[in-house]
Amino acid sequence: MAQLLQLTLNGRARVDAVPDNLLLLYYLRELVGLTGTKTGCDGGECGACTVLIDDEPRLSCLMLAASVAGRRVDTVESLGEDGQLSAVQRGFHEKLGSQCGYCTPGFIMSSVGLLRRNPRPTDDEIRAALGGNICRCTGYVKIIEAVKHAIELHEAGVEP
Amino acid sequence: MQALPEFELLRPTTLDDARKARAAHPESQIIGGGTDLMVNIRRGIVAPPVLIDLTGVAELRKINADETSLEIGASVTLVELAAHPQVIKHYPVVAEAAAHIAGPMHRNMGTVGGNLCLDTRCIFYNQSEWWRGAIHHCLKTTGDICHVAPKSRGVCFATFSGDLAPALMTLDAEIGVARADGIRAMPLNALYIGYARQDEPQTATRGDGKHFLSLRPGEIVTSVSVKNTPGLRSAYDKIRIRRSIEFPVCGVAVALRRDGDALIDLRVAFTGTNSRPVRLEGTAALCGGTPDARVLQDLDALVRDQVMAMKTTFTPGHYRRRVAGVLARRLVTRLFES
Amino acid sequence: MNKIQSARNIGGYVPMVDGPEKVSGRARYTADILQPGMLTGRIFRSPYSHGEILDVDISQALRLPGVKAIVTGADCDKTFGVLPIARSEYPLARDKVRYRGEPVAAIVAVDDATARKALSLIKLNIRELPACYTVEAATAAGAVQIHKRKPGNIERDIIFEIGDVESGFKEADLVREATSNCAEVCQNQMEMHAAIADYDALRDRLTVHASTQVPYYVHLMLAQILDMDMSRIRVIRPQVGGGFGARSEALNIELIAALLARKIGGCVRMVTSREETFITHRGRPETDIRLKIGMRKDGRITAVECECDQRGGAHSGYGTVTILYSGSMLYAIYDLHNVKYTGRRVLTNTPPCGAMRGHGTVDIRFAFENLLDQMARELELDPFAVRRANYLSAPTFTDNDLMVNSYGLPECIDWVERESGWKARRGKLAKGKGLGMACSHYVSGASNPVNASGDPHATVKIKLDFDGSLAVLSGAAEIGQGSSTMLAQAVCEVLGLDLSRIRVIASDSDLVPKDTGAYSSRITFIVGNAAIAAAQNLKGILIAAAARKLEAKPDEIECLGELYRVGAQDKGITFDEVAAEALKGGGAITATGHYSTIPESRGGNKYRGAAIGASMGYSYSAQVVEVSVDEGTGVVTVDKVWVAHDCGRALNRLTVEGQVQGSVWMGMGQAMSEETGYHDGLMLTGNMLDYRVPTIQDSPPIEVGIIESNDPHGPFGAKEAGEGSLAAFLPALTNAIADAIGIRFNDLPVTPDRVFAAIEKSRR
Repeated sequence: MAQLLQLTLNGRARVDAVPDNLLLLYYLRELVGLTGTKTGCDGGECGACTVLIDDEPRLSCLMLAASVAGRRVDTVESLGEDGQLSAVQRGFHEKLGSQCGYCTPGFIMSSVGLLRRNPRPTDDEIRAALGGNICRCTGYVKIIEAVKHAIELHEAGVEP
Repeated sequence: MQALPEFELLRPTTLDDARKARAAHPESQIIGGGTDLMVNIRRGIVAPPVLIDLTGVAELRKINADETSLEIGASVTLVELAAHPQVIKHYPVVAEAAAHIAGPMHRNMGTVGGNLCLDTRCIFYNQSEWWRGAIHHCLKTTGDICHVAPKSRGVCFATFSGDLAPALMTLDAEIGVARADGIRAMPLNALYIGYARQDEPQTATRGDGKHFLSLRPGEIVTSVSVKNTPGLRSAYDKIRIRRSIEFPVCGVAVALRRDGDALIDLRVAFTGTNSRPVRLEGTAALCGGTPDARVLQDLDALVRDQVMAMKTTFTPGHYRRRVAGVLARRLVTRLFES
Repeated sequence: MNKIQSARNIGGYVPMVDGPEKVSGRARYTADILQPGMLTGRIFRSPYSHGEILDVDISQALRLPGVKAIVTGADCDKTFGVLPIARSEYPLARDKVRYRGEPVAAIVAVDDATARKALSLIKLNIRELPACYTVEAATAAGAVQIHKRKPGNIERDIIFEIGDVESGFKEADLVREATSNCAEVCQNQMEMHAAIADYDALRDRLTVHASTQVPYYVHLMLAQILDMDMSRIRVIRPQVGGGFGARSEALNIELIAALLARKIGGCVRMVTSREETFITHRGRPETDIRLKIGMRKDGRITAVECECDQRGGAHSGYGTVTILYSGSMLYAIYDLHNVKYTGRRVLTNTPPCGAMRGHGTVDIRFAFENLLDQMARELELDPFAVRRANYLSAPTFTDNDLMVNSYGLPECIDWVERESGWKARRGKLAKGKGLGMACSHYVSGASNPVNASGDPHATVKIKLDFDGSLAVLSGAAEIGQGSSTMLAQAVCEVLGLDLSRIRVIASDSDLVPKDTGAYSSRITFIVGNAAIAAAQNLKGILIAAAARKLEAKPDEIECLGELYRVGAQDKGITFDEVAAEALKGGGAITATGHYSTIPESRGGNKYRGAAIGASMGYSYSAQVVEVSVDEGTGVVTVDKVWVAHDCGRALNRLTVEGQVQGSVWMGMGQAMSEETGYHDGLMLTGNMLDYRVPTIQDSPPIEVGIIESNDPHGPFGAKEAGEGSLAAFLPALTNAIADAIGIRFNDLPVTPDRVFAAIEKSRR
């Protein structure tokens, strides 16, 4: 069984026929070709697949593609303008919030979701918002610094 | 790409349509946020031919909350519940329980109905198809024995781990259950029938870790409601090995009332221990005076008697059972003195 | 006018050269390579722990439409393994299965659904054998033998005594003994294992993309397993999502993907599940340690006796090296004499262990520093004083012939003592709070490569052509540790150029010189030195060209990166002009640099295997950990960590800090929440819920002090920074808990249930 999926993906309207049993994760990676969204576990345990659904971070590995009909879906590829990195992307690059980089798109999307609803989060709010993302490289110290740097850049006018 | 089994996805937008879909597909499963069910589908634990997604049903997405009563639709997300100002103010135990479920993305996705009907868990059950096949499956799926208690004579000990149920049970919550011919109300407590004990045979109203909900085929949990009790203080606490992305090692909800120096009403409920959320029985005997060391000791004795944590998690059952009492004592003291 | 000067970047905070790709989602990991026509591979794994294979019936599975081919042990009679002395593993089990999860067959099909269905149609017929899941069971009299050539299931035993242990203990004022158990842990790098194998049947050529730390070893093992000439194989390492040792040897998935690809003459994509990644394992073995230390009243250590058993799993892997490291690395941190070590690496019917971060040193260091702390308390000595009483004085050779030329441990110790406020705060914290300290160290690359072939230990090439850009060609595997950034920095520093001139190509055996890979923290020291040599050679060529152009002598030429001139009054010529001059006649330039460790660094021969542990330089680390213990629930919270790491010289302070924080934190995971568990050899914790990697909400601030001891042989003085700080966290934690609640933990991890049980026991 399949459905016609209409959605706004990374700012563009899009229509695809999707099987009922297709996960959003694989719709993005294999059908659309947006491989920035990663998979790191067998379901819901690592956060590497985090995308924004109407600005809210969600796990694309546990969502059916058909269930995002009519919604706005943003992946890491949506960030930045005119070839420039967004505030959160710059934060993770410049402050080494990313080492191997595999968890990074998930962390970035969780952080973007946070800054869009709360532009000035406290350290505890940052920790709480990123509690669903696992990183195996950094020990998280520089991830927190990355988000704080992004907050400053955002305040200076750079989109998150 | 990991292929999922074939299924049909239905996305009703009205409760009426949802009810009809449920009646038309007795083998269907309800899906809310999918944070648990989808994991189980991916692991081949369940393979429902039809999924009915309730998240698009507007009637089920409402929270009505004020100082007299609380009503929550089944499709309300955990994050909405945790952040609702009236819930935080008048029903703190519910908001606290919701705020600490799993991780932030799970709370953005997970729903109240999903958490109330959360499948029971076990280290021998929540594993891949290959894994379960290597030990010939278990009672909860297609196997002949329970690996937690191989001599259990047909009783499954899988553990209930939802956080909302104990919180709502301390408030004497009721649920609405829809079926083809209407809606019935029942105490939340009566939803759970996982009374698993090795020495007790199962009946229709006393099930186990496998048969742990009293829902009949075709039924849907649509809402949960609470009438406020003036003067009730409530709170939720739990032990987790990690502070996020965890099911509770043990969760405890406490609601109590104080009159002068006396404890006059005490309600305690647990999750993460038995095959159902446990509303502690016999707490009336602890009321009447101040909750001093003796009262707390008696509370602990009740906990040890009624909380039965088996080897269903990597964390030893003994610890879960003992720490349940510790958390309960702490919450009682804290709420009484607050 | 701008001041003319060379660009400098060594010692700065330099974001990674491949960072923009990672934060934009453009970085391509193996599983991101999706091309039309790729087929899906899946592995059929043994559900049995131990048994003789009677038959693998694939007939039904082969008949399923969409199944292209199936391989079993019958398709390959060659073995693989990282150590030339221990290549005992078949990519697909042949004679026996030895652990639950061992690959038995593999399917290639048009899609995953078909492959999965086919898996369920394979029938494995087996004669089950008794299985050994513990060291005790495997070494018991009459235990069934897991490998033919390993009687008693001993993969490797080792015993050495250097000095006189008995008289050493006699000199001691206090002799104490402790037994420790450290649970098995796993790397659990975020990227699951993945390989894409593409076989071109027309040309008999194979291309493999693999998520590996060791592309060269993968290349070697592919040639061996497929019985193919190495010249027909190309190995490409895309972006790698972490390693930590899980990928420091060729894995069965890469080899199986290649077997399938050759069988069908096409392209096979294999991505394992998280559970399969766990079962592929190569983590740190469960380790039992009995340690005895003699100490004088002033804290001086007089003798050490250590017995170590490691449960290695079903295959050899790095096992021999691990058990040797555990002995040899008792040395090179303190001035020890009179040491006896007995080690046993044991084979069991569990997934094979490997070389996890801090290889072989971590559990031993835990036991050692934990016991030191206990003895310091008994002798009423400050734990810092005990370490200070046992300093080495560099340069020196240890009793087991390890070469120590730089030794920043004293500065590390001073730093953490000062920054943590130890003197003012210790013993004065609130109830349930405590401070603990410990030290650790690690090699900067093994001085003896495991597959020595006579060529240099590292080769780096720099290509310069008409466009004036520099391509640094190296086989050093970037796995997130920043090695490509380090190579770019090293080359730029020598040539005085900005990083923007450089591209690092470190990913394709067709393009780059051989490199043994990212393990034993070797790349900065060994490949970094080769990169410097290459850059210096190139600089020589450029200076010669500039001299020709400027009609001066080479030694008169001043190189300022973008400008070459003869003295400050000369307006000079640009880099591009110099490059154009250099290209005249010969065309594109490739400058080569080599590096090999010096013979004195390669260890001695006081016992068999004494070369393991030998390194050009050792990093040092000291840590202070502050904890809060909830005595009612047993929950331990790490409030803060202070760590000082002697990395010789910080080439890049940003990545050094990141590596040190990551190490400390990974030590925290092992110490507090991570452990694998098995039910009759079946991994209970093969997922990221039950294998509990700490979340951001569990993780403390980690303050890093960088200590620069300037190693005389290190590149710009540098040593390793990515492993040495892991081990110290474990004992620093247990020492802090002992300080907080007076209970000492010898077993890891210190989970809440264990703390709770210990508190209950102490109150009885």
